[in-house]
Amino acid sequence: MIDYTKYRLKPKNELDDVLKEVPGLFAIWCKKCYKAFENEEMPECNNFVELISEKDKIKGRLGIDFLCNRFLTEKNIKNLPENISIGVISCGLGIQTIAKLMENKGIRVLALADTVPQSGNASSIAGYHGITLGSEKCAGCAQCYLGITGGLCPVVDCAKSLLNGPCGGAKDGKCEVIAEKDCVWIEIFKRMQKQKREMSHPIKVRDYNKFSSSEEKKISTISFEKRTENFYGGVHPSEKKEITENLPIEEFPQSKYMFVFLSQHAGYPATAVVKQGERVKFGQKIAESSGLISAPVHCPVSGRVTAIEEKLHPTLLRKMPAIIIENDFSDERDDDIVSCSEWHSVPAEKLIELVKQKGIVGLGGAMFPTHVKFFPPKKPLDTLIVNGCECEPYLNADNRLMIEHPEEILQGIMLARKILGVNNVIIGIEENKPVAIENMKRAIGEKQGFILKELKTKYPQGAEKMLIRTTLGRRVPDGGLPLDVGVVVLNVGTVFAIYRAIVQGLPLVKRVITVSGEFERQGNFEIRMGTPFKDILEFCKSKISENAQEYCLKMGGPMMGIIQTDPDSAVIKGTTGFVLAKKFFVDSSEKNTCIKCGRCVDVCPMELYPLYYAYYGTRKMWEKCVEYGVKNCIECGCCQYICSSKIALVDLIKQAKRNANNKT
Amino acid sequence: MLITKPKDSREIESYFEKRVFVFKCYGCREVYFPEQEINKFVEERAKSISGIAEVDYLCNESFSKIYIEKNAHVIRNSDVIVVFSCGVGSQVISKLMENNIVVPGCDTCYLNGFQGLTVLDCDCNQCGECYLNYTGGICPITSCAKNLLNGPCGGAKNNKCEVNPEVDCGWIAIYERLMKINKEKILVENKIFVRNFEKIIKGK
Repeated sequence: MIDYTKYRLKPKNELDDVLKEVPGLFAIWCKKCYKAFENEEMPECNNFVELISEKDKIKGRLGIDFLCNRFLTEKNIKNLPENISIGVISCGLGIQTIAKLMENKGIRVLALADTVPQSGNASSIAGYHGITLGSEKCAGCAQCYLGITGGLCPVVDCAKSLLNGPCGGAKDGKCEVIAEKDCVWIEIFKRMQKQKREMSHPIKVRDYNKFSSSEEKKISTISFEKRTENFYGGVHPSEKKEITENLPIEEFPQSKYMFVFLSQHAGYPATAVVKQGERVKFGQKIAESSGLISAPVHCPVSGRVTAIEEKLHPTLLRKMPAIIIENDFSDERDDDIVSCSEWHSVPAEKLIELVKQKGIVGLGGAMFPTHVKFFPPKKPLDTLIVNGCECEPYLNADNRLMIEHPEEILQGIMLARKILGVNNVIIGIEENKPVAIENMKRAIGEKQGFILKELKTKYPQGAEKMLIRTTLGRRVPDGGLPLDVGVVVLNVGTVFAIYRAIVQGLPLVKRVITVSGEFERQGNFEIRMGTPFKDILEFCKSKISENAQEYCLKMGGPMMGIIQTDPDSAVIKGTTGFVLAKKFFVDSSEKNTCIKCGRCVDVCPMELYPLYYAYYGTRKMWEKCVEYGVKNCIECGCCQYICSSKIALVDLIKQAKRNANNKT
Repeated sequence: MLITKPKDSREIESYFEKRVFVFKCYGCREVYFPEQEINKFVEERAKSISGIAEVDYLCNESFSKIYIEKNAHVIRNSDVIVVFSCGVGSQVISKLMENNIVVPGCDTCYLNGFQGLTVLDCDCNQCGECYLNYTGGICPITSCAKNLLNGPCGGAKNNKCEVNPEVDCGWIAIYERLMKINKEKILVENKIFVRNFEKIIKGK
């Protein structure tokens, strides 16, 4: 790997001259990019102070990663002392970024470093490496010649940037301008011989106007907009939603044996209230909630309890107790299922109790018990946000619900609105679901207090904090909850479940999931909790016949989903889908070295610096991870998705969070 | 930032008369990658394609190597390898498969701000002798079409460059910036700069 060191300090006399002109200097230095991240210390700032004569003029210093990221840099520069100039140790981009930021504050910005030229080529000045640290460089000439030169670039690697053969000045294969360089035209000739090709292309003249500045401006603008639209960061993975978006929800066939986990929610696992051999009915409560943050579990079929045994839990990934029920396929309903269409006259406390008794939890994946969100808040609450973003690729469960059951969802929202005592409802749906948007709009009609927001498609738009930022412009404080900014967020699936629980009396025993990817039978299924994975695999049938190790099955979407290996595990309330997709050909690993390409910082929607979790995580320095805000991470996986070194960042982040919690 | 645009189809059409293996590099997708255009182009020529690799960061040599090793039988038996990536990716694949014909399917263009991590509206030319101290933090080399170091050429009309009327004159921007920080005198007090191109060669 090559260290693309981008800058070096200016010589002492120049620095001293610069310092003479200013009363005081605040030094900002960039922590560098495109280098193997093996050492946290960057000596540049100390070297600068060592070097200069008037050391007492330094009024402060600040190291920032990726100074050219204007958005984050602006956030990081605060509490500047009075009456100073700012000296910047960085490449030209960082200096210009700071100069622009300080323009209207009237603060002078000084360059303390020179940018190190990368091309080493006098006539073709520009030469840019790729995202990773290889030796090949590209000049971005907009008229690639590599096809006719055997893959060696004459623009960057010939000192004279000749396009039509060697100058004739090479001696012993070396360039006449830069004696230590090989003549690239000789290399081109050798390469072409190896490929048995002739060099016979017509004469090329370089067109310096190939990429017009208006075109460049257009692409720059698109790129800027993509990065900051809705919220900072985020990624746009291939959606693949078209595969299942037009497939109506089907009932998934019942299984002979159901494995109903006692832990299907965030918080304490429920306590079983049935015994082995006992007969159970559809919708009967079979486990009671066991704490403030907990939820009861109901029987998804009718039949007999054959055992309570441990099975591999799909999200906790350890053995957890599950009630095994043998299905008699009679679907005999429990007496507790009583419909209540007159909910308008039922007091809110009673409705909360119903939500609790029916085991409703957040169906977006986090499985937070819904009744807890409904407890009368200690803080003012003004808006209910209904989350219909479903930003994970492949998944269409929420989309189909909105298409097929808009009226029921609307009633669910009215119920939630009554319980919470708020009037304002915002329904956020991504633009890639036009039918759902239309149907929801029709259902809302002229009703007061409802706003349907069409949001630009961007992952992770469906994350609570991003959604609040996009729809209301409010920022949930670090470590805070949506309630801290007067908001409760509910998923459309959850709202639908509330409707069913109260109006139809049905406890949460079924949900809609999407099965997609390399399956023969893909679709959206209404499935009962406790359906074993092996039955899903048997029903949907994997298309993969060979090289099975190149694929992986995830519960949830490809971004945040959890890899499943045990067919004996089962569907829980938080299952949003199953996706069987090809893995990237290199596995993400904790061992790969970070090269500070900065892509993770570019996409992190929480505005964190994920590269530090790679650096400190692999060194097991968890308290440092906390310092860099690991607790604010929402584990959306954008950083790992974009990582050019394929570092298993999400694993490291989870470890960091676990270890940080153990210590405090 | 290096980005790509597909080559004129006439330029690479002839390669698709043989067996072609296609590399598509999605590494810079979050910035700009003409994914749909390329997919359409490749689909239309499906019958001559022996395989398609959808990868990211082709420029990461060690990963690209693993891919090529895993799929060697398909790739090496193709007549031509067409790489839809920036020039760096094409060069890496060429290097790894020296005996095969590797051709780029894209032209690589340059967006301002490459050596940093992101697209910017300012740029750095890596000249090796930063002038920003004297120009209020606006680079005269990248913002002036003539790379002038010692003031404007005098040809600007209505603030616009005479070489490219789409672009603002960098020297007017410099003057305005210096006025804001009350340092416009720098422009007359300074010595004359002559650019030292040797710094580029000896930059390493």
